[in-house]
Amino acid sequence: MQWLTAIRAISGVRGAVLSLGRAIGAGTALIGCALLSAGISAAPLSREHLTVELIAKHSTVVPGASAWLGLRLVHEPHWHTYWRNPGDSGLPTKLRWQLPDGITASEIQWPAPDRIRLGDLRNFGYEGEMVLPVRIEVPDNLPAGSQVSISLDADWLICKEECIPDKATLAIDLPVTDQAVADARWHTLFEQAEAGQPLAMSWQGHALATGNDVSIRIEGSSLPDIEGLDAFPIQTQLLSNGDVQFQRDGADLLIQAVRNEYFSAAPSTMDVVLTQGQGASRRAWSTTVSWQEAGTQAASADAAGNSSTPVANGYTMHSLALSLLFAFLGGILLNLMPCVFPVLSLKALSIAESAHAPKAARRDGLAYLLGCVLSFVALASVLLILRGMGQQLGWGFQLQSPLVVGALIYVMVALGLALSGVYLLGAGLTGLGQSLTEGQGMRSAFFTGVLACVVASPCTAPLMGPALGFALTQSAGAALAVFAALGLGLAFPIFILGWLPGLRRVLPRPGPWMNTLKQVLAWPLYLTAVWLLWVLMLQVGADASALLLAGLVVFIAALHGYGRLQLQSPAPLQRLALLGLCLLGLSPMIAVIRAHDPAPGATTSTHQAWSMQQLDELRAEGKPVFVNLTAAWCITCLANERMALSSDAFFNQLRDHDVRYLKGDWTRRDPAITAYLAQFGRSGVPLYLVYPRGGGEPELLPQLLTPALVSAALSRAGSETSATDTRSHP
Amino acid sequence: MKLLSTLFSSALIFSASSSLDARAVVGEAAPAFTLTDSQGKLRSLAEFKGKTVVLEWTNSECPFVKKHYSGNMQAQQKAAVADGVVWLSINSGAPGKQGAVDGAGANAIIKANSAAATAYLIDSSGSVGKDYGAKTTPHMFIVDGQGVLRYMGGIDSIPSADVSDIPKATQYVSQALAELKNGKPVSVPTSQPYGCSVKYDS
Repeated sequence: MQWLTAIRAISGVRGAVLSLGRAIGAGTALIGCALLSAGISAAPLSREHLTVELIAKHSTVVPGASAWLGLRLVHEPHWHTYWRNPGDSGLPTKLRWQLPDGITASEIQWPAPDRIRLGDLRNFGYEGEMVLPVRIEVPDNLPAGSQVSISLDADWLICKEECIPDKATLAIDLPVTDQAVADARWHTLFEQAEAGQPLAMSWQGHALATGNDVSIRIEGSSLPDIEGLDAFPIQTQLLSNGDVQFQRDGADLLIQAVRNEYFSAAPSTMDVVLTQGQGASRRAWSTTVSWQEAGTQAASADAAGNSSTPVANGYTMHSLALSLLFAFLGGILLNLMPCVFPVLSLKALSIAESAHAPKAARRDGLAYLLGCVLSFVALASVLLILRGMGQQLGWGFQLQSPLVVGALIYVMVALGLALSGVYLLGAGLTGLGQSLTEGQGMRSAFFTGVLACVVASPCTAPLMGPALGFALTQSAGAALAVFAALGLGLAFPIFILGWLPGLRRVLPRPGPWMNTLKQVLAWPLYLTAVWLLWVLMLQVGADASALLLAGLVVFIAALHGYGRLQLQSPAPLQRLALLGLCLLGLSPMIAVIRAHDPAPGATTSTHQAWSMQQLDELRAEGKPVFVNLTAAWCITCLANERMALSSDAFFNQLRDHDVRYLKGDWTRRDPAITAYLAQFGRSGVPLYLVYPRGGGEPELLPQLLTPALVSAALSRAGSETSATDTRSHP
Repeated sequence: MKLLSTLFSSALIFSASSSLDARAVVGEAAPAFTLTDSQGKLRSLAEFKGKTVVLEWTNSECPFVKKHYSGNMQAQQKAAVADGVVWLSINSGAPGKQGAVDGAGANAIIKANSAAATAYLIDSSGSVGKDYGAKTTPHMFIVDGQGVLRYMGGIDSIPSADVSDIPKATQYVSQALAELKNGKPVSVPTSQPYGCSVKYDS
């Protein structure tokens, strides 16, 4: 280096230095190869399988401005050098600058890398001709006419299959001028490097690591399509370097990756570069995602648990037997929750129908129980499998799927029309006149049980929340047992009714009143369909919902025609037409599948949309916070909001105590909310939390709120001394 | 449908990711193997039960291996073997690839380097390397006397091909061996392996 400085000191005239530099460069390139020592070169330097050169975008520098320099790398075909995260093997290229006083150089502005395959190994790096750009800042006190001499020690590893570590010292001299003079030779190369720069995006991303799986959800606007997409973590030892999979979930982008086998510690965040396409049309983005460990969340929630919390509101539950009991009791209580309202009319009907046939009543009760338990177990199995695959889901996931909600709308309308007498359910086209078979009653009881499970269970009841939270952290067998106990509990009251002789005395004998009752009970089912349609609108927006509504009209026409045909024996063509009409009516489901989510939860003057970051910020400021985790399909949540969380008194109290109100909407899938629920050992909504002023653990409120209860909790949280004693006075 | 499509695409994920991820996991039983050594003798992991075993993936033509065979690797081998540790160098290079050797070739390398490993095993099919997920040369693994994997990763803490970095680096293998000897938990049980890629046949 002293040698180089000496040469520079001697050479005053710019042109002389440039040509001298080139001469020295060319000379040392030869010597460098021969001696295997680092050369000093202002000209392209040919090394093994690679030509390197220090280049500048402009051939002069301007005082007070920044300038772009770069290490130009020309790889021999099939040889590559490495990105900042090199992947399975390799080393990133390193640069060390010798800069005149006052000039500073940025880090390498790494262009997005390629995924380079070597058998089963994956490397991240570059091939062909490219430049690693670096921005330098030139001080404004440099006199025009002077000159800047910069040298660079570059260290790289170049590999095909074999690898060669190498290094070189490169130099460049740039005259100082008032106007920058572009160097046409490198224009394209720098343009490409700029195009290859990942665009920093303000997307929201969360990585959730569960066992070996890491699922990343990215939310935000202008997310790329998954076609030709690739993702590279900037940090090493986080994600496996193998291929990642992409999926769109509504507007969100999902990335399925595998945990790196050399993973050693969970970071708080991970930087990811996304790329799309190849060559000149390639695009790249970068974003930062938070990193959460599924396991440690539960662990830290455990640690945060407070023994003075009543057990039913406790963060976690440790015994399977206790969980089974709680699930069973929770299932019974679920019958008293507003959530169960949609299937109430069906149940009332089944009771009335069988009250005077005790044997049938018992049999139907059993079928209902079976329907309940089996569908709970089936839903839980699907939930466990999806969670095992890294999907961040909780209980109620079935109603987070617009497809299920859409299908339920058709089911509700179809059932309602049957009760209204538009057609005869289960009798078939030629079956009119046959009395309902014994199997018929059983079958309908079974499906009532299924509906009760699918529609009514997603809201969590008291006792049920902790039990489910426990179940989802257990082995599959234990988890399924807890869900089965829940189904047993839900079905139990109806089941037991069949064994009560008193019922027969209370209800009148079957007669024409039964038909009237059926027709009356159809109306609550239509209302249920309206509610489900509202949920669907929140999930897929007005367009797809309107289409479904139109389809529903066609579907009703089809069922109407079906009812009329049941009175005669229809021709094959008529049957076919009916089937076509029915399919046409169902076809809007395709739009529901393809629909993208509308805008996420809005912030209003009374509340803000929940996010972990928002909550953390408010907690850091020491503000008391009321958190409401809700979903449109959770009628209990809606009832609570009507009853206790929408009065002027409630909002006045929020203001008086300076309590911030965060609302998390779980109507659609949201891994962040799922993870947050898990912190409290929950896997379903509603969940109400009140964080006290000045920090400390939140108080959990019950699933059924009263204005008095909320008021008391808010004043506890809002008072200055609340942090220490709230938990002992629930 | 949505659930079905999720299930389906998840299944695709599992079939599509064919990266070289080890079945070897620290804290679990190390994959068993039997290989021929440079003397033509069959050696298996099982025969060293009760002893700590170091596995070193090697390729004498790789610059990173050369870096550590400037003295560091031999010194670690000697110290370990003197301590009753079994040190197995393994070459998973496919025949014809850079650094792949037969028994005689391996013996020549051992002699030239004055290597002090217990044995030099030849894994030309690459199956043992893939079982362990050996990605680089060098790539180091330590198996304890009960057959449990206790360390996997790089030989030291500074990923470079520069010999002058060796004294500045933490030597993870020596450190882990010392901790195991004293009955302590291994403080750094995994680290990022660095070096040339293992020259598998594919």
